[in-house]
Formats: sequence, structure tokens, C-alpha cells
Amino acid sequence: MKKVALFLAVIMLACTCLTGALADENILVTWWGNQTRNERTHNALALFAEGHEGVSFTEVPNSWDDYWKKVAADAQGDTLDVIQMDYQYLNQYSQSGLLLDLNPYVESGALKLDGVNEGIINAGTVDGKLYAVCIGVNAPALLYNKTLLDGAGITVKDNMTLDEFMALCKEIYEKTGYKTNIGYGTDMVFGYILRGYDVALFKDGKLNITKEDAEKFFSLYETGLKEGWLLGSEVFAETAVGTVEQDPMVYGADPAYMSWCAFFWSNQVTAMQNAAPEGVEIGLTSWPSPEPAKSNYLKPSQFFSVAAKTKHADTAVAVVDFWTNSVEANKILLGERGIPAAAATADGIADLLDESNQKVIAYINNVVNPNSSDVPPADPAGASEFYSLVDELQEAICYGAMSASDAAAQLIENCPANLK
Amino acid sequence: MAQLAARKPKKTFREKINEEHIAGMICTAPFTIGFLMFMIVPMLISGYYAFCDFNILQPATFTGLNNLRMMFADAKFWKSLTVTLYFAFVSVPLRLVFALIVALILLKTTKITAFYRAAYYLPSIIGGSVAVAILWKRMFAIDGTINVLLRAVGIESRLAWLGRTDTAIWTLIILAVWQFGSSMLIFLSALKQIPTTLYEAGEIDGANGWKRFFRITLPLLTPTIFFNLVMQMINGFLAFTQCYIITQGKPMNSTLFYTVYMYQQSFEYYKAGYGAALAWVMLLIIGIFTALLFATKRFWVYEE
Repeated sequence: MKKVALFLAVIMLACTCLTGALADENILVTWWGNQTRNERTHNALALFAEGHEGVSFTEVPNSWDDYWKKVAADAQGDTLDVIQMDYQYLNQYSQSGLLLDLNPYVESGALKLDGVNEGIINAGTVDGKLYAVCIGVNAPALLYNKTLLDGAGITVKDNMTLDEFMALCKEIYEKTGYKTNIGYGTDMVFGYILRGYDVALFKDGKLNITKEDAEKFFSLYETGLKEGWLLGSEVFAETAVGTVEQDPMVYGADPAYMSWCAFFWSNQVTAMQNAAPEGVEIGLTSWPSPEPAKSNYLKPSQFFSVAAKTKHADTAVAVVDFWTNSVEANKILLGERGIPAAAATADGIADLLDESNQKVIAYINNVVNPNSSDVPPADPAGASEFYSLVDELQEAICYGAMSASDAAAQLIENCPANLK
Repeated sequence: MAQLAARKPKKTFREKINEEHIAGMICTAPFTIGFLMFMIVPMLISGYYAFCDFNILQPATFTGLNNLRMMFADAKFWKSLTVTLYFAFVSVPLRLVFALIVALILLKTTKITAFYRAAYYLPSIIGGSVAVAILWKRMFAIDGTINVLLRAVGIESRLAWLGRTDTAIWTLIILAVWQFGSSMLIFLSALKQIPTTLYEAGEIDGANGWKRFFRITLPLLTPTIFFNLVMQMINGFLAFTQCYIITQGKPMNSTLFYTVYMYQQSFEYYKAGYGAALAWVMLLIIGIFTALLFATKRFWVYEE
């Protein structure tokens, strides 16, 4: 009797598996992020599954660093469906033929992009084909320890020029002992500051700067080192660079090894506020630049792309559409990836946002929008190697092992071959 | 009986699989298949990629010896090679000396030696793990245990051990030396095999402790030292976790291990072809050093 029951159970299990495989669609969604994002994404996907019978999800979250290593390998197979894409990697992935052109779906109405800013749509377009849909708008943001500066009677003004910024760093160092971390490991700072000098970092997939341009950037570090306010690189040897929780603005106890500010992005304010010690308020302003209006930009921070080899293109596109247009879904996501790209969706959730997100919206509307230029084109393939060279040279300057002009010369000389 | 003997017996299935070579093959199949699938095949593929421009995202294109040419012009390749050789040549002898000293101490059998042997072996089991690497990173941090201890004994230290080019590599070397356990066990068993009659004879001839060590123990240990040296040197060249977790090559690439650089090229810069070429060059280097060690063998290794 027992055996018969077991046999039946196995048969039933096999049947459900089989029918499941035949009738249902399992969509693999992969993204990078943090704990908050993972939970919200999971809940939003669950909401989608409720409304679409037979659809289930495989969720593959990861950290930023590991994400790109894993996706590169996975993209060889046909397991991926919806891929979170970054502006920095868009060229490389679309040119490798790994992403699906979404224009046909826009034309058929399966993907509605009404009320999405033209520039934001263009940012996801490569060679006339739409490869990525923005799921959050962002801007560079200088996060700072407002409590510390209030205590010292220092106020930070928006749209600082470089000179004002350096004077401020000096003043803060003299009054509080806190040093300054000029965006160590934040790749985009380099190009951002050069934009203020009317120089584009890359052009037509090649490096577009001279030694003099690079020297202007590196001399920031040299000055900081001379005047004493530059945060030494020792700190970065023992922390995970780029993670909010280990940023020297909130991590550590000794002002000599801490920074009053951090070069991050507006959507990281909440995470930074959560990582900050009790009673520390985080403020945000624009990154300094010789001319902030030329440098600053709204960045389509994160995208959803559909894998070229997906077997469930229609459903995958439906997920992207859902993310863009469903107010209900965005009530769960609450702008964690950045402000929704579609205006109607953004309006739909405005009332629900918490204090730090309200701050972000105010920052984007009042500081960035009136004082910014077009987003720079996506980085060419090979940019990640270039940026790690920039990091290494910065490090050498911070250790006093190299002058700004030597570093600039080396940057031009050792630039990865495919960018030359 | 006669009837049975006349017919040539057909082998049963059971008899067949019990035949020696078939049984052997079946028993080794899990390893053989795994070895082919996860070692030989990937190795051959990487051998092909070593001559290709391969960015993981697109199919590889054959570029001949281009990767090798790039390597010779690549300052970071030379830097990482220097760092790795320095690391291996400093940490391996230190580790062996340490292992030998501890083995000599633990040679005397008392009731608790077994416990001590296990205790000293422990770091080797856990030493290569991520958890210990993270612990190490915290210990040598600016506000870490090492600085706190130094301050407790009156040395005012706020040194960033991991952030200085002259100290960072040593934190990794100390971690490597700490993992002396497996060499120690091999030394222990070799020490036990040295016949006591030799020592007795030496004692009668008036040799003191040092003399006995240098004239009897050490020469008889040379085969073991040789074995340990080869094995540990290969391990040293291939060290990865410590660097990847603790320093990531910082500061200023002063701790950039070869394998970590290989990983960076392959998976961070998406230059897997170059990474594969780096891997094969490492294999070559290990081969050369092993051959060199074997060539010197007859000058210093005692063989009966």
C-alpha cells in the first residue's frame, strides 16, 4: 500500500513538473543592488506574477562588482531574460549583440514610453535601436556630514565651483580635522570635472583628452595633499571602495582617516543615511566643477534590458512596461533605483516618499534641473580598465609618489590600447 | 561436472564488472570524468583562448602571439610577477623553518602532544578561507587589534599596516607563514622515521645537540624539505584569496598577486584571452622553477 502511494505521489509530482514546464513561463530577472532593493524588487515581481497567470520569476540579485562578472558569463547562454543594465556598460553589451531591440515593441504598443523625457529614451538607444529602458533617474550628488558642518558653523552652497570647494575643504580641515575624499573610486568624477572645462572625456569610442586636461584634474589631489586636507589612500586599502557602508564619511572613528563628504549619486542618500552613525544628518549638493552648469547632468541611472536570446520576449517586455508604467508597482519600489522615468508614474508615488527621498526630489528639481547639461554619451568598451588606471594614478599622487604632471603623462601613455 | 567443463562458461554481468581493469575504470570514473570535464577540457580551451582576443561577451578571434607581445610591454604584468616571486621566496622558506621548529618541539610524545599537533595544524585548514582573510584585514586595520595591542604595551601606533607599501605585503606573508601546519605534519612523520641508532652512535662519538641536528637530522630530512619546498612554492605562486580579499593589490600594486591580476584582466576588464595567456605563462614559470629545483636536487638532497 505504501509503495502504491509513493508511486502515485511520484507520478503526480512528475505531472505537475511537466505541465509546469509546458504551460508556464519562468522569467529570470537579474540586478545589482542592496537589501532594500532586493526586497522591493521581489515584491514588485510578485505583484506582476499575480496579474499574469502562469508567470513565475527566478530572481538573481548581486552586488555591483560581482554582478558584471556573472552577467558577462551568463550572457553566453540563453538563461537570462530581464537584465538590469547600466549606462556605463550599455555600449559594450549592445554592440556585442546581447540585447534585444525594443523599438518593435514600442511601435506595437507593448511597451509604452509616454511621458518619458526624450533625452532619457535616447540614453538607452544605441545606433537608432532601443536597447534599454530607464527605470530610475539620478544625478551626481555630493553627500556630506551636515551635522558636523553645522556644528562648525559651516554651510555648503549648491553649485560650488572647484575653487570654492577647495577653499571649503581647507576650512573644514582647519576647523574640524576632517579630511576630504575627492571621489576615490567614483569613476564618473573625472569626466564630470573635465566637462566643466568644455572637454569630453571620450569621443567616438576613443580617449579625447590631452595631458594638460588630465593634469588639471590630478592637480586637485596634489593641492589637497600639499594643504593637508586630502584623505590619504591608506583608508581605501582596508575598506571596500564604493560601498556606502564602508565609505570613510560614515565609517571609522578618527577624523584623520575620515572624510566630510562623499562623491555619490542622489539615489544613495537613503542608504548613506541608514549607514551613518546615530544623530548624523546627511546633506546633499552638487559635485564641484569649474562650471557646474556644464558639468552636471541628469543620469538615467539604471535600465532594464531584455536579453537577445530570451525565449520569453513578450513577457520580458511586459515586465519592463510594468516597471515603467505601473503606479502600483512603483508604490512598492518607491524610487529606490531613482525617480521613475515616466512622469505620470513619478507623480503617482510623490506623496509616499520618505524624508530623504523628498530631499532628493527637491535636489533634482531645484539644483540639477535648472543648472545642468545633456548626459555624456555612454562610456566605450574598455572604460573600466581606463578608470582603474585613473584610480591607480590618484593613489600614487596621494602617496606622494608621483606628481600631477607625471600622472597625467602616464594616463595618456598607458591608456588601454583600444581607447587610444 | 563434465558437461559444465565442456561448455565454455559465459561470463555473468557480475563477473564481467569484477574483472580487474573494468572494476578499476568504474571506480575511478567519478574522478576521471571530473578531471576531464573540469581540468583537461577547460585547460585546452584556455590554451586556445591564450592566442585569442576574447572579451567573454563576443566570440573569440584568433590573434596569434599578440597577447604575449602585450604581456612583455605590460608594466603591471612585471609588477605582479615580481610581487608574487617576492611573496613566494620569502614566505615559503619562512614557513618551512617555522614548520620544522614546531615539528621538532612537538616530536616528544607526551599525553597532550596530540592536542598541540592538532591545534597547530588548525591554521592550515582555515587559513586559506575568506573568513580568516577578513579577520586578518580587520586585525591590521588602523583601529584594529594589532594597533590596539601595540598601544596596550606602550607603543603609540596608528600605523595603517595595509595602507603602506612597505608593510602591506608583510601582512600577507605573515598570514602565509601562519599556515605551516601541513608542512609541519610531513616533517613530523619524517623525523619519526630517523633511526634512533644514528643518534646513539653520534652521542657515543661525542656529538652535542647542535652537531647531531646538523649532521644527522637535517641531512636525513632533506628529501622531505625538498618535497615541501616544491609543493609550497607552487602554492605560493598560485596564492589568490589572501590578496583578493585583504588588499586587492593595494597600495599602489605593491601586493598585486599574479593570479589576482589574471582575474582582474579576465573578469573586470573583460580581457579573458589575455587572462588565459597570463595563466599559461604562469604554468610555464612554475614548470621552470620546479625543473630548477629538481636540477639542484643531487647537490643537496640525501638519498640512500
